[in-house]
Amino acid sequence: MYIQRYGKYLLLLPGIIVTGFFLVVPVILIVVVSFMQYFTMKSPTLTLQNYIDFITSPQTPTILANTFGMSIAASLLTLLVGYPAAYFLAFRIESVKTRNYIISLLLVPFLIDWNARTIAWIPILGEYGAVNYILQILNITREPVPLLFSRWTLLIIWLQTNILFMIFPIYLALIRIDPDLINAARVLKAPPSKVFFNIIFKLSLPGVAVGFTFVLVNTLGDYITPALWAGGIQVLGLSIASFAANFVWPYAATLSTVLVLIAMAVLFILFKLVDIKKLVE
Amino acid sequence: MDTIVEIRRLVKRYKGNINALKGINLEIGKDEFFVIMGPSGCGKSTLLKIIAGILDYDEGELYIGGKDMKYVPPHKRDVSLMLENYALFPHMNIYDNIAFGLRMLNKDETEIEKEVSEIMKLLEIKGLEKRYPNEISGGQRQRVALARALVIRPSVLLLDEPLSHIDYRLQRKFASLLKDIHRKISGTAFVLTTHDQHHGLSLADNMAIMNSGMIEQVGKPEDIYMRPKTLFAARFVGEINTWSGEVLEISHDSVWVKTSIGVLKASRQNDEEIPNGQRVGYIVRPENIRIAGINEKADNTVEAVFEGMFYFGHYIELVFNAGGNERIKITTPTYNNLDLKINKKYTLGWSSRDAKIVSKPSILEGVDIEDLIYGR
Repeated sequence: MYIQRYGKYLLLLPGIIVTGFFLVVPVILIVVVSFMQYFTMKSPTLTLQNYIDFITSPQTPTILANTFGMSIAASLLTLLVGYPAAYFLAFRIESVKTRNYIISLLLVPFLIDWNARTIAWIPILGEYGAVNYILQILNITREPVPLLFSRWTLLIIWLQTNILFMIFPIYLALIRIDPDLINAARVLKAPPSKVFFNIIFKLSLPGVAVGFTFVLVNTLGDYITPALWAGGIQVLGLSIASFAANFVWPYAATLSTVLVLIAMAVLFILFKLVDIKKLVE
Repeated sequence: MDTIVEIRRLVKRYKGNINALKGINLEIGKDEFFVIMGPSGCGKSTLLKIIAGILDYDEGELYIGGKDMKYVPPHKRDVSLMLENYALFPHMNIYDNIAFGLRMLNKDETEIEKEVSEIMKLLEIKGLEKRYPNEISGGQRQRVALARALVIRPSVLLLDEPLSHIDYRLQRKFASLLKDIHRKISGTAFVLTTHDQHHGLSLADNMAIMNSGMIEQVGKPEDIYMRPKTLFAARFVGEINTWSGEVLEISHDSVWVKTSIGVLKASRQNDEEIPNGQRVGYIVRPENIRIAGINEKADNTVEAVFEGMFYFGHYIELVFNAGGNERIKITTPTYNNLDLKINKKYTLGWSSRDAKIVSKPSILEGVDIEDLIYGR
């Protein structure tokens, strides 16, 4: 009888075990360690010193601005590029078959190894790369322009690696919109621009929020791409990695906790603004 | 009466060259309550969407208020549409839903407030302003959809199957509400589609019967009921007895037809030429047939065996068998206590004045009279 009643929850068990052991427990550990002076389990002295150090450090504002500034900028840029693509896919291509072909084409970059994909930027954006070649052939510039190793490089690379995570949820939100809602708005005297902003865009907001979250979380956690391509800007992930590598684990844990807290705050605000339930309804 | 909507030889093709509309001609008058009736898939919804401007048409002409509508987008037409599924905006509350059209017309907020409040009072949905579409009942949603379409005061209000998604009691209530509102606000023609003959007949000033993308007949409800031009139209409005037969003799006001249940006499309903020997449909409404002894004026009589009855509350339908599986239906008010015996033979009679002949099965080409009558 108990099995009949509660047996369905057994299906959740593998998921709970995996997230419990490999996410919840480590996060709790990190938070605990972030209050320690040295990493020792024997006689831990808890202190707020790490947090005080972080807040008072002269580097902190720059690092935070870099980290969240670049991630939010990348999310916005991806949204700006991804939304029209999703719209095109949902409303301008009638055949479902063609849509599916295009979506599977978007997946192709993910079939290529991460290293190969990263190095591939050199022949594209490098000094002797495709972009510079075209610029010189068209006589726009005489000398090669430095395109690699700047904030813009980082944004472009993040845009490329994350665009699918933006397009897909927005596309899903758009195809769920009942065409009759659009028809009703048109008949109720809404010109095309107002049909878009008052109906289509508003109803696709849950998709926008999900896509935005994906890109934000992805880029916040990625410190290798900024380290390789951003020309030496300092981001939180990079600091965490270097402190951890030098065995200053409590301070690395503090930075991690701060990163997770701020990311959660951003997402909390985002989902206060947008009703995510609309997408799963 | 002045015309507000004029449609000429309108053709609509969907992909794969399926003709949804095959040359529609229609005129709808100002202030008219016009009903388009037909079975599902006959193209009535397509026609409404074309008038609203949501769908384009391939051939023919459409005029609204005398203006050609070919290149006029929906938001510039003096037309409003209540969609079959209501299509209320789920992210707006009821007030904002109803105010939507007025806001798009750039009216100022105080005027919008006044007009929304007025229409909500008229439709008895006051108090729902702050609710969302998923928080109200189906009947309320329907009224909100009507209010939203009506509040912009269009010259033509299109109603696509407004009565098909609610239960019977609400249907009757909503139908009389529609009729009421149509009378109260002047200057708006109502165009309603339905597949239900009761609503169609009872609401319409004028109506059109549609079949497979063509119009079978246009006219007043009583015209179509009493003088159907095609067998399809005759069978679509009300119950009817039909037999196929051969014309034997024609006089200036009567026609004699040889059918499988005998030679039957009908009145000639129009000046249509009917050659001797032509296959025609002979029709008589079940309320016009009597059991002999009750009506002595009957000049058509048939012997038939009583098979059973259907009870409908205010009337009953009696089913007789005239031999060879030829059924005859009779309807009679319930208060006529007839006391009929099953399997007993009775003589049925009706006046030739109530019987008509229809020589065209349908406006469509290639429909066989017997196929239509015997449902093959």
